[in-house]
Amino acid sequence: MTDLIQLTPVDLLVATVLVLAAGLVSLAMRLDIEKRLALSAARTVVQLGLVGLILERVFALRRPIVVLAILAVMILFAGREASNRSTRAYRGMRWDSLLAMGATCLVVGAVVTQVVVGVQPWYDPQYVIPLLGMILGNSLNGVSLCLERLLEHLSARRHEVELRLVFGATRSEALREPIRAAVRTGMIPVTNIMAAAGIVALPGMMTGQILAGAPPMQAVAYQIVIMFTLAAANAMGSMLIATAAARRLVAADGRLKVEQLR
Amino acid sequence: MAILLRCGPLSAEDGEGRRLYSAVTVALDDECLTVLEGPSGGGKSTLLRQIAGLAPSEGVTRKLGGRRWDGKELPGWRSEVNLLMQDAPIIPGSVLENLNFPYEFESAGERVFDGERAGELLEEVGLNTIALDRQASTLSGGERHRLAIVRALLWAPAVLLADEPLSGLDGPRASRCFDLLREHARLPGHAVLCVLHDPAMGRGADRRMCLESERLTAA
Repeated sequence: MTDLIQLTPVDLLVATVLVLAAGLVSLAMRLDIEKRLALSAARTVVQLGLVGLILERVFALRRPIVVLAILAVMILFAGREASNRSTRAYRGMRWDSLLAMGATCLVVGAVVTQVVVGVQPWYDPQYVIPLLGMILGNSLNGVSLCLERLLEHLSARRHEVELRLVFGATRSEALREPIRAAVRTGMIPVTNIMAAAGIVALPGMMTGQILAGAPPMQAVAYQIVIMFTLAAANAMGSMLIATAAARRLVAADGRLKVEQLR
Repeated sequence: MAILLRCGPLSAEDGEGRRLYSAVTVALDDECLTVLEGPSGGGKSTLLRQIAGLAPSEGVTRKLGGRRWDGKELPGWRSEVNLLMQDAPIIPGSVLENLNFPYEFESAGERVFDGERAGELLEEVGLNTIALDRQASTLSGGERHRLAIVRALLWAPAVLLADEPLSGLDGPRASRCFDLLREHARLPGHAVLCVLHDPAMGRGADRRMCLESERLTAA
């Protein structure tokens, strides 16, 4: 990758002109989003800048404990974000989403980094952190969509669930349909991305690798691994959150505890 | 007359914490249609939901035909003490699917869907002109209530707890449906507890109870 074109601060300034142009469009058309745009742009610079600084230090340190600590912080934030995105809430929802995100990230992350890619040493931050970051970012989407759909089902369509219960459905029988619908919703983004991959746009990671000088077929191989990983992560995360939430909101004897939903 | 179902003590409060009733025990006679009367907002629906185990009920003893059912057996209890829910909800799908979905549940046991009997009952309630593959969501309120009655009678539970089953039905249809519920109640080993808003219809009941001033009394 010696032919990599290095970006200088001047290049970044030129890119800033582009976002300023977007702001001008907003002003000219009175879209009223210039403030939001400015704030988001500033956040991008600050957040990514910090991440860059941290990653440089972490890559230099190459200590397993540091990598694990960073992963723990990432999981914590992802769990929090997944529950914050929901318009409804119940007691214990944070824990459930943290558990779903954590278990998904660790299981799927372990398979992809240790078995598929075979990272050496196992904690090599250059691979482990971006791969797990991608898994977390995507399953966060799936988990929050799935959770939102399930809570919506249990509150708006509670009579439908109760109709099954009054005919003697067990908890798992009554919850089969709501959980199925919720997991399906959680899986939609990743199946859409997989179906459109390469046709509508080159996936971000592949684009990045090609820009960084990797041979296209190698970039494709990585991208396929990532897509399949994300599919597994979304499925597992959605299933875990749906099951955990459903078990909290429906008692073992099948009584719907909708009063817990806020 | 022998008591078929006994359930209590039941207590409940409304959403604002006002006591609806306390330490009430419901006892239903065998072969008997009992009508539950009382002012609206007095907790009749909550009482039915508590008996069915859909609303919170702590420390309640549930007995059916001398057998005691504990909390873990509630799904089995519900399939024998079936609640005909207010507003007659439906599941997404056809009319037929709305009639036969319960037979897939574990608690259905030996029960199998009897298409012939379903046809007879649909005719009795005047729904025989409706195609079985029609989407249930296109039915009117009154049609949904009649469909719910047909489903409940097909299931033939020992006890049927019917929460305003005749809402939205015109005079002759309502009285035909009421007759069907009473016929079911009068079978040996069966009973029906029915919340009605029509006092004239209520006079056709075998027994009447009233839930008023936090107490359940014989009317």
